[in-house]
Amino acid sequence: MNGLFAGLTHFQALLFFALVVSVTFAFLSKRGAAERVEYVLWVFLAFLLVAIGIGWLMYPFSR
Amino acid sequence: MSEAVKKQGTGSLGLGISVALASWAVPGLGHLMLRRWGKAAVYFLCVGGLACAGLAMRGGIFGADATDMFDRLGFFADMGAGVFYFLAHMIQTAGPDVAHASGDYGTRLFATAGILNLLTVLEAYEIGRGWRT
Repeated sequence: MNGLFAGLTHFQALLFFALVVSVTFAFLSKRGAAERVEYVLWVFLAFLLVAIGIGWLMYPFSR
Repeated sequence: MSEAVKKQGTGSLGLGISVALASWAVPGLGHLMLRRWGKAAVYFLCVGGLACAGLAMRGGIFGADATDMFDRLGFFADMGAGVFYFLAHMIQTAGPDVAHASGDYGTRLFATAGILNLLTVLEAYEIGRGWRT
């Protein structure tokens, strides 16, 4: 387990985080498989887009 | 009693508190008591997965001796993970290493596991009270 997670890049950790949180949110707030799958996809993509967007916004300040 | 909760939408304060405590202690246990098998499995895997990943990445765990508000918030979030918080030192044998980015991510993942579990605790309480079906 340590070997599996210890070497994760920031992006890989973000993917794992986004997937797990979106699945939990879907089960907390939606009923039915179809609704949950749709919600997981939306939240997962929203996490990625927002994170990448904020990353780009912060890029000029990294130098 | 859980069947009655499911069918009639009625519950009790005692049931609500007991499933909330069970949910906090072991993620998914409260839903297991309410016979919500699928939710119980998903919550255990998601909260447990995040917590174990955070520990494997050598994330820091906030202790009860927190000195400032951020540390106290971190302690509150970490405590939400229930059994994973109390077993953290057994799972994370190498100890935390927040000097590296990976350890920092691990700290956040573990805190998120705690917060997610607190949300499942609230849901279990609402189902136990009959406020939610």
